[in-house]
Amino acid sequence: MFELAIKNILFYKGRSITTFLLSYISATFFVIYVAFLDGSHISMLQNSLKVYTGSIQIYQKDYRDEGGYDYLIYNNQKIFNILDKTEGIEAYTSRVETFGIVSTQENSSAMMLSGVNFEKEANISELKNALIEGVYNSYDNCLYMGVDLAKKLDLSLNDEVSFVGSAIESSFVADIFKVCGIFRTGMYEFDANSAFLNRNYFDTLFYAQNTSSYIVVKAKDLNKNDALASNIRSHLSENEKLYTWQELMSAMVEAMKVDSIFGYISMALLFFVIFFVILIYGFINISARIKEFGTLKSIGISDRQIDTLLFLEIFIISIFALILAGLSGGYVAYYYELHPIVIEGMSEIYKDYGIISDEIPTSFNLYTIFCNVGLILFLNLLSIVYPIYYVRQYSPIEAMRHV
Amino acid sequence: MRYLILLSFIVHTLLANEANEIIQKLDKNIRGESVYMQISMNIKSLRHERTIKMQTWAQGKEKSFVKIIYPPRERGITFLSLNKEMWNYIPKIERTIKIPPSMMLQNWMGSDISNDDMLKQSSLVDDYHAKILKKEGAIVTIELKAKEDAPVVWGKIISKIDTTHYTGIEDTFYDEYGEKIRIFSYENVKQFGKYYLPTVWKILPIKKKNNLTTMVLEEVKYDEKISSQYFKKSALKRFSR
Repeated sequence: MFELAIKNILFYKGRSITTFLLSYISATFFVIYVAFLDGSHISMLQNSLKVYTGSIQIYQKDYRDEGGYDYLIYNNQKIFNILDKTEGIEAYTSRVETFGIVSTQENSSAMMLSGVNFEKEANISELKNALIEGVYNSYDNCLYMGVDLAKKLDLSLNDEVSFVGSAIESSFVADIFKVCGIFRTGMYEFDANSAFLNRNYFDTLFYAQNTSSYIVVKAKDLNKNDALASNIRSHLSENEKLYTWQELMSAMVEAMKVDSIFGYISMALLFFVIFFVILIYGFINISARIKEFGTLKSIGISDRQIDTLLFLEIFIISIFALILAGLSGGYVAYYYELHPIVIEGMSEIYKDYGIISDEIPTSFNLYTIFCNVGLILFLNLLSIVYPIYYVRQYSPIEAMRHV
Repeated sequence: MRYLILLSFIVHTLLANEANEIIQKLDKNIRGESVYMQISMNIKSLRHERTIKMQTWAQGKEKSFVKIIYPPRERGITFLSLNKEMWNYIPKIERTIKIPPSMMLQNWMGSDISNDDMLKQSSLVDDYHAKILKKEGAIVTIELKAKEDAPVVWGKIISKIDTTHYTGIEDTFYDEYGEKIRIFSYENVKQFGKYYLPTVWKILPIKKKNNLTTMVLEEVKYDEKISSQYFKKSALKRFSR
């Protein structure tokens, strides 16, 4: 039956080439499309994680719901001791965030001021790499300020700004800071509202010793982040709450799921058309071969064997097309994962959507490629069901007389 | 039917007028022509408690000046509100800072009142539509709904007022979505010349059950001449000492 199927494929060239090309093009396109879709999502997530979020954050219970100084972690060291004993952590650090007014002679703005350990922060986030002017690791009353905040206040390096806010015990805090470094992460809200101060100076000014808004952890292996989170969680008290990056960025993750669903729906419309084209071509071809099936039936070939023959024909065409599509689509996905497409200025245009790079990478994932190709194979096999049913309606005599 | 509608309209207008009149009298009791106060403010939160003392000078709705006199670390910090703008002078850094409008709703000095509350920029009379909800003897409950274009944060305020002397008993503040946010309660009404004013104000934020800000009006002087110098930007530094 296999040999007969091969002969038929070679004999009915028109149908074979059409089915082959449609399967090949749609599968290749699908693999590349999904690779870009997943790649851009992964890139957005990883950028956000790298820039500031980290893979795990630990808070005092209620801080994220209530906010404010009442819900700070007031004993960093206790959590540091737990983290020191935990395997799988690449780095961790604590941050204290406060809000206040930053002001020049002419302009004022609200600002999030974070007290950070610049050296440790360099191992966790991209803040150091985001430096565009001045110095990163500054001391005393030096601010490391977002580029859009500096623009808003019309500030340059070494300019002075005054800051007014509240210390941890709610007393009034005011100081004059010097702008020593300017950063650009590409995340507009972040760059337009944030500045960083070295932790020692911050602690003295705000009475924030051994205190933090949260502790941020970077996992050695992001794929084992959930296991690491469970491990740390088991050592924390009920007053401390741990969030993984998926929880911290749930809105972004959800938005990406929705985006993916819409992406798949658009693709489904295309597949719907391709499916019917393959089905119609297959049906026309098989309708023209009814006499041939009648002859086969009259010499004792059963309906089941004819079904197998038709199934083998489409399977062989599809499998060749899809192996080739998997290889070529996979190659494109792999190539652009290593060498992403660069569109100059894209990050500037789409910075509000979390795009911080001009690169559009793909995601080369064998499992995803296998699933995508498998879906096209399934649709191709499905397209032969009706023609098989149609052929079965004819008795050998009717089939041989069919015109 | 026509008469019924007309009657309903007249009743509604009369009630609104009466509500406005009550609110105006209440506002007059709080502001006078001018008022000087010395206030002690106790701020309690889950982890901290502190007391601030201040002097305030105010003239009408547009001008007010506040000077912190206690604790020593914060002594001399001054605030000036003039024609809906606000500045703050901090002696430690010798800088005057303009408070951006976006910060007017931020908590003032770590308390549960906002910059806007402190400087009374928004006015119950000008910015809200008043309607009487209930009358129980001298106690009148009035609903204040924000006017469409009013630059206020509260969607609604339910104000319980004692009309004997037109003093507040309790104000409940709701946000624009109708969620209850905080309660101001007023106690210990005292007479100051022709004015009556509660001298203990308590502010309870609904979502922060452990927080309580209590303001005690230790000294109040109405309608005394306040130098116009207090309401100039130069006053921030000059009267800081």
